[in-house]
Amino acid sequence: MTLLTVSDLRGGYGAADEIVRGASLTVEPGEIVALIGPNGAGKSTLLKLIAGLLRPRGGHVRLRGRDVAGLDAPDISRLGLAFVPQERNVFGAMSVAENLEMGGFLDRAHLRRRIDELYQRFPMLADKRRAAARTLSGGQRQILAMAMALMNAPALLLLDEPTAGLSPRAADELFATIVALNHGGVAILMVEQNALEALEVSARAYVLVQGRAEREGNAAELASDPTVRDLFLGGAAAPMLPQDRGDLR
Amino acid sequence: MSLILQALINGLVSGALLAVPAIGFTAMFAVLRFPNFSVSGIATLGAFAGYVAYGAGLQVVGSLAVAFVIAGAVGLVLDRVAHLPLVKQGALPAAIASIASGLVLENVVRLGFGNDLRGYDRPIARDMHIGDIRFSPQQFETMAVALAIMLAVFAALAFTRIGKAMRASADNPELAALKGIRPQRIAMMASFVGMGLVGMGGMLLGLDSSIDPLTGTRILLSIFAAAVLGGLGSPLGAVLGALLIGIAEEGAVLAVGSAYRAAVGFFAILIVLSLRPRGLLGERAF
Repeated sequence: MTLLTVSDLRGGYGAADEIVRGASLTVEPGEIVALIGPNGAGKSTLLKLIAGLLRPRGGHVRLRGRDVAGLDAPDISRLGLAFVPQERNVFGAMSVAENLEMGGFLDRAHLRRRIDELYQRFPMLADKRRAAARTLSGGQRQILAMAMALMNAPALLLLDEPTAGLSPRAADELFATIVALNHGGVAILMVEQNALEALEVSARAYVLVQGRAEREGNAAELASDPTVRDLFLGGAAAPMLPQDRGDLR
Repeated sequence: MSLILQALINGLVSGALLAVPAIGFTAMFAVLRFPNFSVSGIATLGAFAGYVAYGAGLQVVGSLAVAFVIAGAVGLVLDRVAHLPLVKQGALPAAIASIASGLVLENVVRLGFGNDLRGYDRPIARDMHIGDIRFSPQQFETMAVALAIMLAVFAALAFTRIGKAMRASADNPELAALKGIRPQRIAMMASFVGMGLVGMGGMLLGLDSSIDPLTGTRILLSIFAAAVLGGLGSPLGAVLGALLIGIAEEGAVLAVGSAYRAAVGFFAILIVLSLRPRGLLGERAF
């Protein structure tokens, strides 16, 4: 069964504000899917709509076949979806250990065991368990944010620009971590400005333009596509023009 | 010298009593994101609820529990009905509504009990002296109760699952929701516990002096000043702020007379907002 099916999803931040305009995509169990596109295409908004932080104005979000569009974020989290936002993704005033506890808020029974597992997987977190999360470096904070998301043993992890603001070395390490998590069986839907690296670690990808998935396909093929390369991999921040979108179709 | 020491001790005692409602006020601000000025009416309600319970034969601790539950329950209803629906329009409409709620509560108490001053009928105990410094055993008993309440609150915030969830929700409500923490439940919990603490604070201040329908109104500015001074949203900051306000108020009585005691709160708010708007410990510090 397809893990996540998004069909014709619409929505935005306000009543008159439609940033996502009929987006459709799927994520199969155990795969990494990249979501790339120009700034303002609605990538982060799409993730927030899927995770329940924003209420969709139309369309469907099916998680393991169940329509979750319109459910609140805590209810969607309970169903096995975890979202790591781009910013403010840890509780800055709380310690690393407390952040992990809050990550596992829904599953008290396995809290201790999962925290111990995560300390083994990410020894940095064990070393810094008593430190306030706000004192961590950018890369350490991203690791903590992902570890918090793993506390509920999600089937699907949504990552919003996980390498934003990181040094190239820290970004490489984070991509390696993402791949390792995926090898552990977690499916990942990732928004990433660092499109080339995102496509390298993904099985499939979608190109989101003006709130719609304009193109999808095998990540390696998209990475070698001249139009996609021109628009996102060479001049990554260049906006997609209407005639370019015609080319993509 | 002994006068200064006496003022310092009196200030610490009144600061400790003030800290209890200040923690309630700042905890509500941290989660609900508006200054809830109905604490004036809730403190009065708590003081009278405790007074009735004490008069009915309950001990101080039992009466405090009654004050906590009555104030918490009424505060929760007020928040759900009158304040939180307005928060979506911004903090200011909710804050204005809370001033109105406080006035309504104050006058409901006035309707039931009249305007007379009332005192808890506690056994008389002889003051103790160390040199020229005078201690009232009842004052210290009340302060000990206040300290025990504070310790219980901080232990709950530090060690319990729901306490940590409240801190998480205050720190980052969107992320807390993503972790499965229901914002509505945390808001209700913050209302109940915050208002309950304010109610207990009203009773503690009543135990230390007397009560009337204006009990809460008289301490409103001091509660607000303590929370702002410590850093709005920070329970530890509220304790620090309350102790400083208590000492400053006693110092003002000594230096310029009791008529200027109330000006201390205004002065503290003015200084903090001018020099360090986030308060001594910053918002949302533990």
